[in-house]
Amino acid sequence: MSAQAMVMWGGLALGVVFGVLAQATAFCLTGGLREWWSKGQMRRIGGFALALAVAILATQILAVAGLVEPARSLYLQASFSWLLVPLGGVLFGYGMMLARGCGARALVLLGEGNLRSLVVLLCLGIAAHAAMGGVLAPVRVAVAEATTISFGTPPGLAEWLSSVGLAETLARLIPALLLGGLLILIALRIADFHRARAELIAVAAIGLVIAGGWFLTGHLAADDFDPAPLQSLSFVAPVGDAIQYLMLATGMRVDFGVAVVAGVLAGAFLAALLRGRLELRGFEKPGQLVRAMLGGVLMGVGGVLALGCSIGQGLSGLSTLALSSFLAAAGILLGARLTVHGPIKLAD
Amino acid sequence: MMLRLLFIAALCLPTLVQAGSGPWERIDPARELLGESKPEVGVLALDLPAVTQDGSSVTLKVSLDRRRHSDTVIEALYLFTTGNPAPELAEFQFGPAAGPLDLETRIRLDRSQQVFALARTADDRWLAGVRDVRVTVSGCLVEGTGSLDDDFMLARVRGPSRFRADRPSEIRAMIRHPMETGFREDPQGQAIPRRIVKQLDVSLEGEQVLHARFHPAIAAHPYLRFHVAAGLEGDLELEWRESGGEKAESQISIP
Repeated sequence: MSAQAMVMWGGLALGVVFGVLAQATAFCLTGGLREWWSKGQMRRIGGFALALAVAILATQILAVAGLVEPARSLYLQASFSWLLVPLGGVLFGYGMMLARGCGARALVLLGEGNLRSLVVLLCLGIAAHAAMGGVLAPVRVAVAEATTISFGTPPGLAEWLSSVGLAETLARLIPALLLGGLLILIALRIADFHRARAELIAVAAIGLVIAGGWFLTGHLAADDFDPAPLQSLSFVAPVGDAIQYLMLATGMRVDFGVAVVAGVLAGAFLAALLRGRLELRGFEKPGQLVRAMLGGVLMGVGGVLALGCSIGQGLSGLSTLALSSFLAAAGILLGARLTVHGPIKLAD
Repeated sequence: MMLRLLFIAALCLPTLVQAGSGPWERIDPARELLGESKPEVGVLALDLPAVTQDGSSVTLKVSLDRRRHSDTVIEALYLFTTGNPAPELAEFQFGPAAGPLDLETRIRLDRSQQVFALARTADDRWLAGVRDVRVTVSGCLVEGTGSLDDDFMLARVRGPSRFRADRPSEIRAMIRHPMETGFREDPQGQAIPRRIVKQLDVSLEGEQVLHARFHPAIAAHPYLRFHVAAGLEGDLELEWRESGGEKAESQISIP
């Protein structure tokens, strides 16, 4: 099988697994934050923390084993915009609360028959491409160039620790174990998982899917003669790419991101079908439509500025321990918090 | 019904009128090559992405339909673009050990434009193929800048994964080189001088497979996939030369 075919089929498989698991566990950062902040329930946010812990540990183990080189990923590139990455995070976080779910969640909900998510996804995908290469791109590029910050070593925790003299294995394992261990402790403490061991395993497996993405694009399908980008799951640009693929398939190839998007949709549909959760849903009030559209646009633009979404930066990015991912994730949390607190908070 | 047919015919008309014409009539070096001859359009297939977010490395495939044109022998192939600072991409001369035309490389595209190929057959006909490519601003990825690093001029080659005597052997070759165009400036505003891989010679047991000439619009770390004629075995030798005077050689044996 060619490297490109392997990336495509592997991406599809990872997407299906993610879709099934996310549907079964209602995996969602937005929902987790909302339940935590409004009702004090921490089960879903605990699930996200656990998935993140597993993603960090598994990814850093892959790196220590020499199977993937995180520094080749987008998140650890030597320069990024110190302004746009956190700002994009804030826009994304605000948008995901508005739309009641991030891009990945919207795909899962669409698989369940929720057509409100279709509006979110279309707005997200189109806005993402408008910001990447469309009408908003010149502004984005100009601001990014004016606010670029460059680093000698790839800007990440592990890379910095090893540049001050720590052996690479330790430089990766120490922060991974500390951060991962802390997250696991918090997750197990707050989320009250003893009653649902299956859920515990399922969200941990979502973390493994992230590492699976790195393993697939960085090792299994690595081709010396065709250096494809090292990547894992993300749901901003790939949603736009998937829409573009629908329109231009004869002149395009399915890449990893598009395959994952298709897989998540299919996996969520399958899981919802088997679990009897398929139900067509639409908007009840025009106000919901406005929220979905605005949320989608904010997520699309914000996700491109931040180089990723709640999954792309929040799981895949953080699993590489990259500085840009910590900034983006902090921005996403801040943006989400702004919807419940402060002058631009949302009426529920 | 008649009216509708007429309407459809009218829609098709512009393409019929233009048969045989194309961007090669506007690009000087292509016009010089062709002279008085009119190329046959649609025989040469170009494969490029319709839209690309990374103009610094765009995969371009050129091939002939083997079933319909099994007896067409291509002697030379010329690749051009319409919208780069210079129209030439690369030129290839094929020797007796070359397989049927099925070639892949990576090129640089400055903006949305047309890419076209002209091929001269052994019986002195010209074939042409053309494709439109849309290039958008680079997405999230920051372009990796090539530099004269440790691996400079490291040449690699790989033969077919499974050798079959009745099939042309697929060869993939690549060399590390920044392909500095001469159009870039360094952070101090000084023009970076042009330095590119200029040519590649491939031979099998002393018999020529191809001779390639590259222009600055070939992407950094030049890459070429081509075919050796079916049934041929032996040592394949590749020799790369670059404008700074350096040379690199690599070889493999088939099968």
